[in-house]
Amino acid sequence: MTDRQPGTSTAPGTTKGSEPRDPSGTAEPNRGRTLLRDIAESTGAVVTLAVLAALALAAVLIAAANPEVQRTASYVFARPSDFLTAVWEAVWSAYSSLFRGAVFDPQASTTERMFRPLTETLTASVPLIFAGLGLGIGFRSGLFNIGAQGQVVLGAVVSAYVGFAFQLPALLHVTLAVLGGLMAGALWAGIAGALKARFGANEVIVTIMLNSIAVLLMSYLLSTTAFKRPGSNNPISPMLDESAMFVPLLGDSFRLHAGWLLALAAAVGTWWLMERSTWGFKFRAVGANADAARTAGTSVRAVYVWVMLVAGGLAGLGGVSQVLGTEGVLQEGVAGSIGFDAITVALLGRSRPLGTVLAATLFGALRAGSPLMQTVSGTPIDIVLVVQAVIVLLIAAPPLVRSMFRLPAPGSGSRLAKEVAA
Amino acid sequence: MKRVAQIAALSAAAALALAACGDAPEEATGSATSTTAAADFTGCMVSDAGGFDDGSFNESSYAGLERAVEELGIKKAEAESTDAGQYNGNLDSMMQNDCDLIITVGFNLADATAAAAEGNPDQKFALIDSTVDPARENVKPILFNTHEAAYLAGYLAAGITETGTVATYGGFPIPSVTIFMDGFVDGVAKYNEDHGTDVKALGWNKETQDGEFTDTFDDKGQGVISTNNFIAAGADVILPVAGPVGEGSLSAASQNDGVKVIWVDADGYDMYPEYQDIIPTSVLKGMEQAVFDVLYASTGTAFNSDAYVGTLANEGIGLAEVRDESVPEDLLEEIDTLKQQIVDGELVVESPSSISVD
Amino acid sequence: MKLELRGITKIFGSLVANDHIDLVVEEGEIHALLGENGAGKSTLMNVLYGFYDPDDGEILVDDVPRTFTGPGDAMAAGIGMVHQHFMLVPVFTVAENVALGHEPVKGGGILDLKVARARVREISERFGFDIDPDALIEDLPVGAQQRVEIIKALSRDAQVLILDEPTAVLTPQETDELIEIMRELRAAGTSIVFITHKLREVRAVADRITVIRRGKVVGTASPQSSEKELASAMVGRSVSLGVEKAPAKPSDVRLQVRDLAVTNAAGAKALDSVSFDVAGGEILAIAGVQGNGQTELAEAILGMQPRATGSVRLGGTELVGRSIRQVLDAGVGFVPEDRSKDGIIASFSIEENLILDLHDRAPFAKGPMIDRRVVAENAERQIEQFDVRARSAQDLGSQLSGGNQQKLVLAREMSRPLELFIASQPTRGLDVGSIEFVHKRIVAERDAGTAVIIVSTELDEVLDLADRIAVMYRGQIIGVVPAGTSRDVLGLMMAGLPLAAAQTEAAKHPTHPADAGRPAGTPEVLS
Repeated sequence: MTDRQPGTSTAPGTTKGSEPRDPSGTAEPNRGRTLLRDIAESTGAVVTLAVLAALALAAVLIAAANPEVQRTASYVFARPSDFLTAVWEAVWSAYSSLFRGAVFDPQASTTERMFRPLTETLTASVPLIFAGLGLGIGFRSGLFNIGAQGQVVLGAVVSAYVGFAFQLPALLHVTLAVLGGLMAGALWAGIAGALKARFGANEVIVTIMLNSIAVLLMSYLLSTTAFKRPGSNNPISPMLDESAMFVPLLGDSFRLHAGWLLALAAAVGTWWLMERSTWGFKFRAVGANADAARTAGTSVRAVYVWVMLVAGGLAGLGGVSQVLGTEGVLQEGVAGSIGFDAITVALLGRSRPLGTVLAATLFGALRAGSPLMQTVSGTPIDIVLVVQAVIVLLIAAPPLVRSMFRLPAPGSGSRLAKEVAA
Repeated sequence: MKRVAQIAALSAAAALALAACGDAPEEATGSATSTTAAADFTGCMVSDAGGFDDGSFNESSYAGLERAVEELGIKKAEAESTDAGQYNGNLDSMMQNDCDLIITVGFNLADATAAAAEGNPDQKFALIDSTVDPARENVKPILFNTHEAAYLAGYLAAGITETGTVATYGGFPIPSVTIFMDGFVDGVAKYNEDHGTDVKALGWNKETQDGEFTDTFDDKGQGVISTNNFIAAGADVILPVAGPVGEGSLSAASQNDGVKVIWVDADGYDMYPEYQDIIPTSVLKGMEQAVFDVLYASTGTAFNSDAYVGTLANEGIGLAEVRDESVPEDLLEEIDTLKQQIVDGELVVESPSSISVD
Repeated sequence: MKLELRGITKIFGSLVANDHIDLVVEEGEIHALLGENGAGKSTLMNVLYGFYDPDDGEILVDDVPRTFTGPGDAMAAGIGMVHQHFMLVPVFTVAENVALGHEPVKGGGILDLKVARARVREISERFGFDIDPDALIEDLPVGAQQRVEIIKALSRDAQVLILDEPTAVLTPQETDELIEIMRELRAAGTSIVFITHKLREVRAVADRITVIRRGKVVGTASPQSSEKELASAMVGRSVSLGVEKAPAKPSDVRLQVRDLAVTNAAGAKALDSVSFDVAGGEILAIAGVQGNGQTELAEAILGMQPRATGSVRLGGTELVGRSIRQVLDAGVGFVPEDRSKDGIIASFSIEENLILDLHDRAPFAKGPMIDRRVVAENAERQIEQFDVRARSAQDLGSQLSGGNQQKLVLAREMSRPLELFIASQPTRGLDVGSIEFVHKRIVAERDAGTAVIIVSTELDEVLDLADRIAVMYRGQIIGVVPAGTSRDVLGLMMAGLPLAAAQTEAAKHPTHPADAGRPAGTPEVLS
């Protein structure tokens, strides 16, 4: 930016004509203006449009994968109405069943079941919120932590073990299981943080490796007598003690559990940590410009370790919520692909707590709605995954979305000023 | 968006241009609705995380469902799981779907099935490869005494080996895999006992339940690696228990003279015509038939929670027809005798992975 | 060749970067384009070179209107450009770099470097460039690299040469050589557009001067105008050049540096046994050509060089081996040479940038929480005191001009009680107005009794600020001289001559070559 503020005096005599217009538009209040520009330029609008574009693109795929559409396409010129009807029905039935499975099911037999889909969406969002928050902290601190999966797994393993191996009073039991999982995730991620701080090891590579190790470690543990269910040779743990489980929030007929409230609390806590605390200030400073943070006296190495501990703890809670909230048992694949989906969630949520909660809820909805989409409309599960992938693709390339919808480029003011700077 | 739409439209148009000029069919004159009770029957299936295209037990089970749709005219609904966290959700969506029978594939779904069965006592379930604990009125376990058939395969392998070494490996150390390996090594031991030989079985120690695994059900390269290792160690009969990974064994064996592969689940002789000369036999696990039978029974009034157990006796499992002419007649006779002894209960084959139903 | 720009207008969004600019460059003329950072000089040249499409106006070559859609067109029309940041491949030889993009080819598509080599030799000899065609670029000093850029342009028959801030990277001696080269080129009929904000050079070499401010031509000036006149036209108000400062009142020795050495990762001594003292209330300027160990010296004092050996004692406290945090807490304020990399966080607000170092202590932190009210009050006060021009304290660091970014860094570093203040290249890339302000602040800090070290490659700045001058060459301090030492002597010391030899040498050439073109009778203005 150049000095173009009002108050810079102009030269007497030498000036020809009037001054160029003030590019900053001084009339507007600054905060509102910044907010508006943020919305228009990159964050909310782009994300929403990316989601819509992904759904539209997915509609094309849904139609293309539908046998009826394929059949009618063979004579589309002879009787286009058949084709169009088939397309409409394929897309409508896919998306309406997605809605029925994820939000509200008007065809359900009981009122309870009508509202169940929404609670399922929220339930499915819980581990994604936790892991997404952790990853978001890492991203904002300049650490590309790909290791949420391993941290989720470790969190699940330890909290499950505490859950089935001990007999404790209810509140104590669940608290210990939660803390155990949190610490397991934190320490697992802390390995990567410490290696980066001490030896400069690339956290992307280290966390990917730790993911593999965590998954294989769980496989191994599930084959030991300490974890295996007595009397069974299957790699599956005993059921967790009831006292270790999160309490259901809406009674036994719904799966929504107290972990959801914990996740929302974690989101608020993350916001406070990043926006209001001295530690968050350090985290953000290191993420935005590690050199400047270092020059100002911040120990960048210590920040790396702490960021990984916090991020890993949150991801560990993702595994905890899976085990203590819904599964009640430790088995192969209990972590699903939460750790990887959470990367998408964090990116989609722009690494901000509120955005992460919303993105996780969207993914929860896709997850909760996909079974019905499969069963009712026969849409392959892969299409649901494609929708997620397309969203990521579009999010990762904001200029693409912007050019698709002809939105203004972000920071046009400052970038252009750089270009004109002589 | 406009541009995307244009591109999509263009490519769609290009793809359809050749095919799209066909004639429209006559308006349907009343669909060919089946008149049997089966027409109103909906059979549903939930896969485990492997998905219906796993080339293994999910796929075999699904084939049974499809056969029932074709031959009995029932309706079907399916939900494919991509990870363990989806089991409950998938079962739940089946509940929303008016299923008459929900078949859940694999022990991984046992807990989810048990929970769903408890919450929905009117809904009927069938669970493959596992029981629920405690047993429920509305859950029918579908089990297979696979180790009995694998026992015969082990006996045969020991009888045809020329190097005195045979081998087996699995995909993952899970009971539905290791049960084959248990039976196989026991069969080899039985042969040694009967003939005073010392045929070695590599790849599995029944005692410690520990052995060779590829840790994959789809990377065929791992099958090649494991098989070549066994061949290098002197083995000339291999039993891969790893779904499509076994194709790696076929390919490795075909490049080494005298090495044979015993296939599992379905009859490899039919599946791989190009490898017929190296597949002396296969260990059959009749999942497709079992699923079909259970569905068939359920369309009537014959649903009950008694376990379906595939045995040598009811041919739910078995050894495929041996079409390799180099296998000596008397060996086949011995195997027939053993089979009869097992059927009659004179000979008991055991595996820690087999599930006993009382 | 005559080049004319008529009514060139370039608009970026709401910003008019060039507003109806008219410019005529006659054949064989050196035309200086003078303006502050952000005045629109580079935009104008990028329009001329075909990088940007003008929104209005036309370009005439020899009175024929031309349209350039890219640099290729401009080159074909005889326009060559030497960018501020060289466009050379470091691992290629001079000849290869010159051939790049216009590779002479033998039969069968084989690169014919002989032609390129001959071309380099020919041009080099014609203008006395002294360039070996087979030298690798990375082995050449910066001044020689610049000459390679000029050869590149001339080898493509450029008749108008645009030099974009060519002296920013040069030593005073190299600057003099460049000015000599420009005169030679002019004599050979080449026209030169000389973009700069350095008044001394403009007056030394330009035939005509066009002053640009805020995207407009605000007037033309003759080289006979005084620096003060030119500066005032450029900034748009009356400015005082030079720094008004009272004589230093040094107190006791505050900083003692003894045998400070830094070995870089490659094992070479970047800083070789450096010793000096700085008293409270005095400014020691470290002069030298970029890359002679100044950066390492500043970093070693601050604790950013883990491999530093020797001793740095501030008031009685040993600093070597301490963490950066501890050094700052000992009362050291530091302005890094690359402020956008080390000084500010572009995506942080002004408020946040002002507490980068103090965010976790009172009064800004209350326990684990940052007190946003105190932070805001602090920002308001600092913005006011240091004249940071911004719409609000919420503006991001990236939204500030270079000058305001630097004021921000100064405000932060001076907001603590200081024992020692180190500023590396405190005015690099700043406009005249900001330079004035920064210099005043630094002098004020000295007058408050702080020991001050200024690291600068700008001789003008060194002469303006210093109470004593230490000249660095190849990691060593080659001499410490008093403030009044002549420009010639300092220049020669910066090239490696010890003080005595430099004085002898300077006496042989009493007139600074850069001033040779000055009309007789004009007194030399040092500052």
